[in-house]
Amino acid sequence: MKINSNNGIETMIELIKVSKEYPPDVVALKDLSLSIASGEMFFVIGMSGAGKTTLLKLLCSMEIPSSGLIEISGKPINQLKGSHLAKLRQKIGVAYQDFKLLNDRTTAENVAISMEVSYKKPQIIRKRVRDLLDQLGLSDKHNTITGELSRGEQQRVTLARAIANSPTMILVDEPTGNLDAITTERVMNLLNKCNKGGATVVIATHDDSIYRHTSHRVMELRKGRPHMMTGGIE
Amino acid sequence: MSFWFTVFRQVGRNIRQTWASQLMTLLTVSLSVLIFAFFYLIYANMLTFGEKLGDDLSLIVYLEEEPGPELQQQLTKKITTFDEVEKIRFISRAEAYQRFARQLGQNQDVLNDMPKDFLPPSIEVVPLKNLRSLNQVKLFSAYLSRLPGTLKVQFGQDWVERFYYFTKLLSIIVLLSGTLLILTTIFMVAYTIRLTILGRQAELELLKLVGATNNYIRTPFLLEGLLQGIIGSSVGIISLYALYEWIKLRFSGPVFLNLFEFSFFSPVVSITIICVSILLCTVGSYSTMQKFLRI
Repeated sequence: MKINSNNGIETMIELIKVSKEYPPDVVALKDLSLSIASGEMFFVIGMSGAGKTTLLKLLCSMEIPSSGLIEISGKPINQLKGSHLAKLRQKIGVAYQDFKLLNDRTTAENVAISMEVSYKKPQIIRKRVRDLLDQLGLSDKHNTITGELSRGEQQRVTLARAIANSPTMILVDEPTGNLDAITTERVMNLLNKCNKGGATVVIATHDDSIYRHTSHRVMELRKGRPHMMTGGIE
Repeated sequence: MSFWFTVFRQVGRNIRQTWASQLMTLLTVSLSVLIFAFFYLIYANMLTFGEKLGDDLSLIVYLEEEPGPELQQQLTKKITTFDEVEKIRFISRAEAYQRFARQLGQNQDVLNDMPKDFLPPSIEVVPLKNLRSLNQVKLFSAYLSRLPGTLKVQFGQDWVERFYYFTKLLSIIVLLSGTLLILTTIFMVAYTIRLTILGRQAELELLKLVGATNNYIRTPFLLEGLLQGIIGSSVGIISLYALYEWIKLRFSGPVFLNLFEFSFFSPVVSITIICVSILLCTVGSYSTMQKFLRI
């Protein structure tokens, strides 16, 4: 099954017959073909174990597919190595489901890390960190050690780190899992803002409140296979 | 943010995070350098002393009878057949007596009752500077003792032998302490870096995911080893210099150090020791990175 994005727009993500299996015989994704346009917001939904997180891990080259081809901006990421892979990763912001925060560092340090690897100037980093924390309602947590934050706060710090470096592609895994309605809206506003700024945003979620009324494409995964695609301009 | 600024910040963070093991490594590197440099200093001075001793070395060949001019010529020819020598001097009985009397100084009246020819005639052979090793001197001595009319050959054999074995022992100690230096610097530094890597596993994993390059991740660890080498070896050499100055001050006077000229390393040698230690420490950190920091 191949699901195409809008014609005539540059493709950001291209997956052709991508499968991912974990030993001994767990099939996380099976023959998934998909194109996501540059600047598109795309939702991946499905129950736990449907393959949402695996798909995001493959897109950020955290894992390699068992078979098939994945291209980001026309580059096959499976074949990228060393500084080429590092350069690509700098353009991809990922908010992981398990946060991957450095719990002995402050909120500001955690957010800054993605900008530091691209050698941004310290004053630019400081300003960007303050702006993002402000937008996510975390300005009072600037110097708090992330290990002392609540789950919801940690989730927002992860998101801030993902978008801090102004990536061209943002992958978000369950962004609202631990958030109340108001904070969920804040988070979605921020992601929409990034999307309007030109970033391709892929959100994996099972929270229907964030995609229920969306005009963006929503793909449902079931047992590693695309089950249904809704939304988008045909 | 520049690459080096970020790298130095990472190094500072690493050192803060594992300061106890860093300090232990630093002490071990310093101590290893100190031990090695200490023995090497003694060895180097002994070699210098040995060279001086070699300069003064002469073989005395005691003869049964005083050789006539023709025999002197024959003996000279025989001696130079073995190897070229620096100097050959024939000493007659009378000359030997006078020399002995001079050596006795005020006590020379003990010789009053002795005949003036009671001392044997001899040949003083000063070997060339390249005839230095004990074995060569021994061979030369054996050759001289086989010359016709030779009573005995003397060259302070016991003393030279003891000195030779002492320097040989020292060279073994220098080798052993050098090995210790190599092992401790490489393995201790490698172990510390390994601890740092393990302690920062989560961060390194994250750095990879956010797009840090290999250089960004690896350079701080390499610099850490380099710093261990610079600081550790400098502390070791400075400590040895302080010890040397203290000994010189404490034991200055008519004994011990005045027996021979004891000097510290030249700046070139000191810098070489420091550079080698730095290289070893860097090798230690590099090998750990290759093993535990797969990017």
